Amino acid sequence: MKKVYLHPLTVRIWHWINAVSFVVLIITGLQLRYREVMGIMKFRDAVDLHNLVGFVLIFNFLLWFVFYLFSGRIKVYIPPLNLKKFIVGCITQARYYGYGIFIGEANPHHSTADNKFNPIQQMAYLVIMLVLMPLQLVSGLLLWDTKTFGTWISLAGGIKVVDTVHVLIFLGLTSFIFIHLYLVTLGETPVTHIKAMFTGYEELKEERGH
Amino acid sequence: MFEESSENRAGKGTWGFIVLGPIFGMLYVCLLPLIGLMTLLLALPEYATAKKPDILEKGGMCMSCHASQGMTKVFKNNEKLSVTVRPGDFKVTVHSSLNCTDCHQKISLESHPGTVYESRSAFILEAAAACRTCHPDSQLNAKPVHAFLTNKANAPPCTGCHGAHSVKRIAELKPALTDNQYCLTCHRQRISTRLSNGEELSLFIDQSLLSASVHNKHSCSDCHSEFSRDSHPVRTYGSSRAHSIAVSQACMKCHADKIKAVRDSIHYNPSFPVGEIMVSEGNPKAPVCTDCHGFHSVGPRATFDTLSGVPCRKCHEDIFKVYSKSVHGMARANGQHKAPLCSSCHFAHDITVTAMAEKIKSACLGCHKGIEAVHKKWLPNAGLHMSAVACAACHSPNSGRGIYLRLEDQTTGKPFTEEQVTRLLGTTYEGLSRKMNAHGEGIGAGELWSIVQQLNEKGTNAKVTFFGKLNVSKGVESHQLAFKKQAVKECETCHNKNSDFFKSVTVAIVKADGKLSRYTARPEVLGSMFSLLSLRQFYVIGATRLTLLDWLGILMVAGGMMVPMAHITVRILTSPIREARKQHELRKGGKR
Repeated sequence: MKKVYLHPLTVRIWHWINAVSFVVLIITGLQLRYREVMGIMKFRDAVDLHNLVGFVLIFNFLLWFVFYLFSGRIKVYIPPLNLKKFIVGCITQARYYGYGIFIGEANPHHSTADNKFNPIQQMAYLVIMLVLMPLQLVSGLLLWDTKTFGTWISLAGGIKVVDTVHVLIFLGLTSFIFIHLYLVTLGETPVTHIKAMFTGYEELKEERGH
Repeated sequence: MFEESSENRAGKGTWGFIVLGPIFGMLYVCLLPLIGLMTLLLALPEYATAKKPDILEKGGMCMSCHASQGMTKVFKNNEKLSVTVRPGDFKVTVHSSLNCTDCHQKISLESHPGTVYESRSAFILEAAAACRTCHPDSQLNAKPVHAFLTNKANAPPCTGCHGAHSVKRIAELKPALTDNQYCLTCHRQRISTRLSNGEELSLFIDQSLLSASVHNKHSCSDCHSEFSRDSHPVRTYGSSRAHSIAVSQACMKCHADKIKAVRDSIHYNPSFPVGEIMVSEGNPKAPVCTDCHGFHSVGPRATFDTLSGVPCRKCHEDIFKVYSKSVHGMARANGQHKAPLCSSCHFAHDITVTAMAEKIKSACLGCHKGIEAVHKKWLPNAGLHMSAVACAACHSPNSGRGIYLRLEDQTTGKPFTEEQVTRLLGTTYEGLSRKMNAHGEGIGAGELWSIVQQLNEKGTNAKVTFFGKLNVSKGVESHQLAFKKQAVKECETCHNKNSDFFKSVTVAIVKADGKLSRYTARPEVLGSMFSLLSLRQFYVIGATRLTLLDWLGILMVAGGMMVPMAHITVRILTSPIREARKQHELRKGGKR
């Protein structure tokens, strides 16, 4: 077995804080929105927890952004400038998930520290990390103190618009989490990727030469 | 000789008669009246200074007691009346020649003190009736004001104005009296007038109230400008209401600022001049100055600060009953004079519609200073809550609540009035009403959005949208404010789609005069996708969420779960293929 160092400690800490925060925010968010069908905690407690973890997520995002930006790792999220290469890569990867994986073909993408994501992941995470997450965090911040951010809320179209954006992104990210959880089981073994996010090292078969 | 001498004598006598006769005649004619006149003139001082019999002599028997100081008469109702007669006062009156029994005809030595009267006034009325023995109706009716007074069934006794034993003509009183004293000579009597509609209007002025009023330095004619010492026109009114309106005009002379505030108030209809406040709406109880401040007892604000004296009760008794049981009403009843009354929150003159007004909230915050900080300790987004939720919505437990939607121009932050709406939409009030309820089931989400869209298209630079506010459904209930511990504190009360508060939705459009036109809206408007456009500034977490987002959420999450499940299923189904391929590769590897 060959070990590839994929996830530095900072990334691993960020990831697991992110993971726990997402779970807490999803549960408390659902509790806030669907009080008539959910009763696992009081509305007031859900607000406090949602706000607290929301700030944790904001700082965590800033940690990730600063680390990735200044370590140069941000480029793993940036698709190649060669559009043809990128589209071919996407099609190849999609073909693998939609066909190759079923007939036992090898994953066309091999993760390294510098090339962590396959083209589809790259596209998805680029949108998630640089568009959806900032939008979600900013909309959450606006809703946290509607008086202080009243002008910004009005500029954004009103409190209901801001909330709708917040909920739409929440739904998108929640849906993605199911897919994300499934995809992490598609390593060499179902726990390969998960272990890697704890240890930092991804175990690859020797014979594949990676 | 004899004849000659006779002729001579006769001649001399004739001459004497001719000369002296006219002289003596003239003297006789002129001197005699002169002597008579002189005699009269000489006698007059004597006559004038002659010691006439005074009351002490004429009424010797009576005055032996009644000249004493401190003589009082006690009536059945325990009232007392001084029956002391000062001879000096009586002596200078026009009645000085009269005897006691000329007026007190029923009193005799045999029966004195005679009739026992029920009250002081009963005695005075009967005693004063004697005046009419000498003063006939023709004399009493000579002046209109005098006739007005004396011909009434409940006319005050003559002595009320003219005095009893010191009786005087009113003209004689003038020089010694101030303007106000002069008016009060009659108006301190319990006089009244019957108005055209049969109401009795009191013309009595309580001097103690007048002295205690803030107007105690004023002259009567400062307000009653048509009246003076020399002018007393006889006026009549159709009703006491007409009288109140008319006399309230006088207040305008000094209190123009208050009149302006009243002009802007809910109690005033701007299409009518001041003084006909709300008369146009047929409300005879609509207040004018005197309804709240009284006539001559105009006092400082503090004089209204008693539970019983609140003038608003006259019309708003239902509210007052609720208020009396509220935390404020009870505090007031327990002697806490800082607890608010009507005017503390609604103010006195510029009373406006309160359903959507910030004014009431300001009034609450005026006393409960720093209350936002107190709410912040436990209430997230306290500022937003306090702007979107009326204080009474949480602090009036058990009251009905609902959502009020108000059109507002976001640019100016001011309400968009019904007049602006009808003008921009090119319709009338009736047309707007029909438009607001086209299907008879309340305003729908599409209709609400359509109105906002049209107003923004035609509303020049206005950015019109509906702002929502949670408030009590009935104005009366907003007065049943309870103790803090009874206030709504559970977030779930509102943040719950099943909350009853969101089942009552009212579109409230402010009129130019501050009143509201209310149109019922369907509760679905709060959660409709159209609300993203028409109600973009109103959102209650959970309660007014978009229904469509719920379905979209179910679809997205289900999709997120189904994709892996479907993929796993296909992987399971295709596992034989992969196994076969693996075996094939192993075999290939073995051959090599």
